Amino acid sequence: MDSLIQLKNVSKHYGKFMALRYVNLDVAEGEVVSVIGPSGSGKSTLIRCINLLEHYDDSGKITVNGTVVRKGADLKNVRANVGMVFQNFNLFPHMTILENVKLAPMRVGEISTEAATKRALRLLDNVGISDQADKYPGQLSGGQQQRVAIARALAMKPKILLFDEPTSALDPEMVGEVLNVIRKLAGQGVTMIIVTHEMGFARQVSDRIVFMDAGQVVESGTPADIFDGAKEPRTLTFLKNVLEQ
Amino acid sequence: MHFQKLSLKFVLILTSLAAYLVPVSAASTGENALIVGANIGNVPWEFQDTAGELIGFEIDLVNEVAKRLDRAIEVINIPFNGLFSAVQSSRIDIAISSITITEQRLASVSFAQPYYDSDQSLTIRSDSSIQSINDLQDEVVAVDTGSTGDIWASENQQQYGFKEIRRYEGLAPAALDLQIGRVAGYISDIPAMQYYTKDKPELKVVERIDTGGSYSMMFRKDDELALSVNEIITNLKQEGFVNELHNKWFGVLAEETTSTAKVTAMPGVKAGLLLNFMDTFLNKAVFVETLPMLLLGLTTTLKLGLVSIVLGLFFGLLLALIRLYAPAIARVTAKIYINVFRSIPLLVLLIVIFYALPFVGISLSPFTAAATALIIVSSAYTAEIFRSGIEAIPKGQFEASQALGLSFVHMMKDVILPQATRIVIPSLTNNSINVIKDTALASVVAMPDLLKQATQAQAIAANPTPLIAAAGIYLLVLLPMVLAVSHLEKKYSKRNQ
Repeated sequence: MDSLIQLKNVSKHYGKFMALRYVNLDVAEGEVVSVIGPSGSGKSTLIRCINLLEHYDDSGKITVNGTVVRKGADLKNVRANVGMVFQNFNLFPHMTILENVKLAPMRVGEISTEAATKRALRLLDNVGISDQADKYPGQLSGGQQQRVAIARALAMKPKILLFDEPTSALDPEMVGEVLNVIRKLAGQGVTMIIVTHEMGFARQVSDRIVFMDAGQVVESGTPADIFDGAKEPRTLTFLKNVLEQ
Repeated sequence: MHFQKLSLKFVLILTSLAAYLVPVSAASTGENALIVGANIGNVPWEFQDTAGELIGFEIDLVNEVAKRLDRAIEVINIPFNGLFSAVQSSRIDIAISSITITEQRLASVSFAQPYYDSDQSLTIRSDSSIQSINDLQDEVVAVDTGSTGDIWASENQQQYGFKEIRRYEGLAPAALDLQIGRVAGYISDIPAMQYYTKDKPELKVVERIDTGGSYSMMFRKDDELALSVNEIITNLKQEGFVNELHNKWFGVLAEETTSTAKVTAMPGVKAGLLLNFMDTFLNKAVFVETLPMLLLGLTTTLKLGLVSIVLGLFFGLLLALIRLYAPAIARVTAKIYINVFRSIPLLVLLIVIFYALPFVGISLSPFTAAATALIIVSSAYTAEIFRSGIEAIPKGQFEASQALGLSFVHMMKDVILPQATRIVIPSLTNNSINVIKDTALASVVAMPDLLKQATQAQAIAANPTPLIAAAGIYLLVLLPMVLAVSHLEKKYSKRNQ
């Protein structure tokens, strides 16, 4: 089976501490994978290795769309294929919403200003904020900012979107609007890996759930496999704790 | 962040002005000693022998005068163009330094009767083809700031077609530049130059320039001390003491017709002119007369400041990026550069660049030398400012740029630097203001900047008004800069909220 993303035996050391332990993971094109697990279990580190925001140990290997993810000339291709949405949005505060979304297509995709503007406005329309295009990020609510960040991540037409706890920094009343946007995307064939604490959402949108603990993939399977029939004691404990809240 | 805690220019102006603002009466020291100001190093009038003892024609003369006044003596070393403010403020009682009596100076100070008739002279390098003033067309000539030579050269610049008059603070730096070849000739008092070149075969006095000035001791205007000293000089001339000094220092007796031998009248005191505060500090006539000179100086200051600021910013940014992101060797080199040039006083660097580099074959013009020193130091400070700005940008901004696939150059240009620059605008502006202030240091390499022009003007007019005016001009230029920046800061911070 062809995997769009392939992690083989991936580990990550911070000094002596091992943040990832021999992780193997294959994600097929169009698949939506949610990564769950307790804080500090290595979920964020895992997806940050996929576009090399974190370097992983030489012993492992990650490929994206057939390209090995390492420092070098090919990294550009990898990043062009992988969009990322951060917990803290990381919008560029000195640019308008429109400029934020336009920047990468103009600088990396090298398309004309006109085409970039058109594409950006369409994307902003998709996430429901085209009327705010000329405002600055500081003038928007957290939910709106995160939707802009999603539009920005989509601007390079990536095959893959990585979400790093996209709703964790939001006020509760804004979580819904962001999740709705992601839900809509999930139905459009974009391959996604989502690190999240929203269990209901994960269950609903995912093709597969990956449960991590202590830097390892403990268990993975369909939402039903994990939420209704987890076998590993650590998964069961985690789910029990989360669902009791 | 500052080149100096206080920029030297203001220190210089303040020192000159302090003379007025805090008058220290010499008589109130209690020792009743005469305080004598002299530009030490002005051979053969007042200089130090190898043992460090003060000797010279005027030192001998003033010692004898003090003896006859039954007073002790204390000599303070003051640059030539600072002597005028020093007597006017009573910081010193007598100024000596082969000071020429002029009509203009008599309006603000008093002189005793002259004791030496001087002329100006042209000194050249011995291997030079120049033999007279007429050969100086399109050449650069050196003079002492505000001296008789300066006044003569300025008045005759057009007639002889001097390309440029370069003004120095004393004999030594001017003679050094003559030897290096930065100037073709040096116009200065003939006795001093004859004495100075005596044991220096590489320099030669080739022409006497008939300016007809006479030297005397200078006093605060209408100081009664001037009258007493004048009387003593009369006696000393009659006794032949003064002419003996001439014999001692020049090897011959002066002719009977000269003021060294003959008793003369005390230079005419202009009647009814009692100088009040306004006449001294804010003299309208002096202001009007010297304003064109000051504005010319301002142009030089702004040109030098602008070039230094712009190139300093450019190299500073480059250094900051090397310091942060280049391979280890370049990073360490940048770090060493930044630390070294933040530790060296700008003035020292400037003097090394201007006076030492010619000995390894690099002879820079005053403008290039001053700009080079300012840029070297400014870029070191600017680099640290930019680095602090870049380091203040949240990590997420770098990560978002990388995740979008932006190249390093685009990440810096589009995302990081625009934000970092906004953060450091106050520091960059402070630095720029300091660069403009520090252009005043260029005075020492004979750059006609605003301070230099003001110093020259106050020496010629023997009046501090040009210095006050220069301070005002600096304020007029820099204050709007400060205000404009606060305005920009406010605007940006509003936008980023």
